[in-house]
Amino acid sequence: MPESESDSYALTVSGLHKRFGSLEVLKGVSLLAREGDVISILGSSGSGKSTLLRCINLLETPDEGVVTVAGETILMRKTRDGRSLPADRRQVDRIRSELGMVFQNFNLWSHMTILENLIEAPIHVQKRPRAECLEEARALLDKVGIGDKANFYPTHLSGGQQQRAAIARALAMRPKVMLFDEPTSALDPELVGEVLRVMRSLADEGRTMLIVTHEMGFARDVSDRIIFLHQGLVEDEGPPAELFSNSKSERFRQFIANERS
Amino acid sequence: MTWTTALGFSERGWGPALLEGAVMTLLVSIAGLAIGAVLGSLVAWSKLSGARVAAAIGESYAAIFRGLPELLVVYFVYFGSSAALTGLDHLLGGQGFLGVPGFAAGALAVGVISGSYQAEVFRGAFLAIAKGELEAARAVGMGRWLSFHRIIAPQVMRFALPGLGNLWQVALKDSSLISVTGLSELMRTSQIAAGSTHQPFTFYIAGGALYLALTSVSDRVFEFAEARATRGMRREARR
Amino acid sequence: MMDTAFIWETFLRLIVALRVTLSVWALSVFFGAFIAAGVTWMRGSGIKPVEWFARAYIFVFRGAPLLVQLFVVYYGLSSFPAVRASIFWPFLRDAFNCATLSCALCTAAYQSEIFRGALAGVPHGQVEAARACGMSGFLLFRRVIFPIALRQALPAYSTEVISMVKATALVSLVTLWDVMSVALKIRNDTLVTYTPLLIAGAIYFVVNYLIARVFIFIEQWLSPHLRARSV
Repeated sequence: MPESESDSYALTVSGLHKRFGSLEVLKGVSLLAREGDVISILGSSGSGKSTLLRCINLLETPDEGVVTVAGETILMRKTRDGRSLPADRRQVDRIRSELGMVFQNFNLWSHMTILENLIEAPIHVQKRPRAECLEEARALLDKVGIGDKANFYPTHLSGGQQQRAAIARALAMRPKVMLFDEPTSALDPELVGEVLRVMRSLADEGRTMLIVTHEMGFARDVSDRIIFLHQGLVEDEGPPAELFSNSKSERFRQFIANERS
Repeated sequence: MTWTTALGFSERGWGPALLEGAVMTLLVSIAGLAIGAVLGSLVAWSKLSGARVAAAIGESYAAIFRGLPELLVVYFVYFGSSAALTGLDHLLGGQGFLGVPGFAAGALAVGVISGSYQAEVFRGAFLAIAKGELEAARAVGMGRWLSFHRIIAPQVMRFALPGLGNLWQVALKDSSLISVTGLSELMRTSQIAAGSTHQPFTFYIAGGALYLALTSVSDRVFEFAEARATRGMRREARR
Repeated sequence: MMDTAFIWETFLRLIVALRVTLSVWALSVFFGAFIAAGVTWMRGSGIKPVEWFARAYIFVFRGAPLLVQLFVVYYGLSSFPAVRASIFWPFLRDAFNCATLSCALCTAAYQSEIFRGALAGVPHGQVEAARACGMSGFLLFRRVIFPIALRQALPAYSTEVISMVKATALVSLVTLWDVMSVALKIRNDTLVTYTPLLIAGAIYFVVNYLIARVFIFIEQWLSPHLRARSV
């Protein structure tokens, strides 16, 4: 296969369309992420931010568009009645295992301890040896600051601790790109900080991160680039300094004014 | 005799008898459910009232009849009530054996069993009523009886309907066990017809079909009742 | 009636009959579980005729009284010459087999609804998180969906299992010598009404109590995540 430009990108998305019934949520969204890029996706509710993220790891199936992860394009096919489906089930699973997703509601597996949550996918999906997974898991838990909670069950942890555990679980997969879907939106205000701290340290490490968030301050300080989505289209994008001080988009200026108040 | 004749409404057909049996099944089930409602509300009340002795009695009654096979209870009630009635008769100077009619014994048996489950339904329904509504009733000066029959009772019925609908279906099926007392409800009638015509398959399937018809109609009725009873009730939004 | 020797003898005879009761119970619950798994799968298969069949199955076997079902299988099937000549006859001519088969079919309908409810109760987010890690198909079912659904199903399942113990008393009406029929026989032979029935009742009660306790133990063992954390 010829070397294409997308090979040098960690993640490319081009022309993503997604409809739910008669409502078109994404109307042609594209983005490029180089390795180490931290991209924050901002927008009001209904702008399609979460849908965009979920189309990347195919938790939602895009109707049109191409997603390429670390040079590998996700193959799609059309069914007889015009619906879009992934062409290769195994490719989807493999690519998902290279993407780490952190959910708004943490979604830790309730019947497993934190440690078990972390080693579950590395052992059963990536087929790595158990001892190696355990060692790495413990190190990750220490890294996010809950090393002592390894044998606890998710319900025994606070929201902030659960989300940090969820981040560690995503890291345990050694992902190429990390996707964050409003990671702090479900947290009590006093617990938000500990999660943002962890995310900041990941950004400092040079991880490739796509973050859907409402935390303006965080987005401004930590991102390399901001993408502003409005009604399914990219209204504006660029480095935070540029965007926050003189965005070409009236809507974006409205948006940050609203968020501030 | 073909099965169509056997089930039919001609002279030799058992159609009418089966339908009569179905009606009997309905009647005895309703009677049983009613008895169960009385017993169930008594037990629920005893548990909610906090009176320790009454609660203990209620709890024991429920535990016992939930742990015994329904068939055993039917026999027990049937033989037991006959023995009790005979004993009473002897006390009053009579001789011989007085049997309690199958209907009464059957309804009592179904009722006693149903009551042990209805207790939980009523208790749960009562607890589901927002405490605030009761406090509001007190605050406007409603006395105990008034707040009971204007606020509590109607709402208990609303919350209890789904559980009661389920228990009604159970009562219908349990009523088939009353056949052992000889009562001519649907099961017994099917049995007699099957024996008489030597067509067991036909009549047990027919009996089963009639039970299913009763079940279906009951489903509709309860759906309708639930829809009516819950109009205006806010669906709890689950986050 | 208060004859200790009689009470003891009755008790022993009923305990012997308990074997029949428990055999029918255990076999019907066990095989019923597999049938139920199949029916649940069919119900959720997405293939319309298959789904329709599963729903009809559940409707019939949950809607009709077990007694009718028993009689259809035991008395009804054997009335057909075709059945008597078939390869199934050696199996179906035996009352124990018929009764167990009928009970299994019946409990399968109830168990299927329990399974369906439990599967629907698995939090969607946790399934998504598993998919997002690359889990799918049988792995996803085995490691995430099934364990969570199992824990959700336990209370209702224990109720159904105990219901089946009580339901086995009906096999006394299709010629099996279980606890119920032996108790009745003792009553008929000796004309003592209460003692045999009371002892039979006590035996059923104790069996049900023990089963309930076993389930409570299983639930606690499987759910350390729901218990309060002892610091």
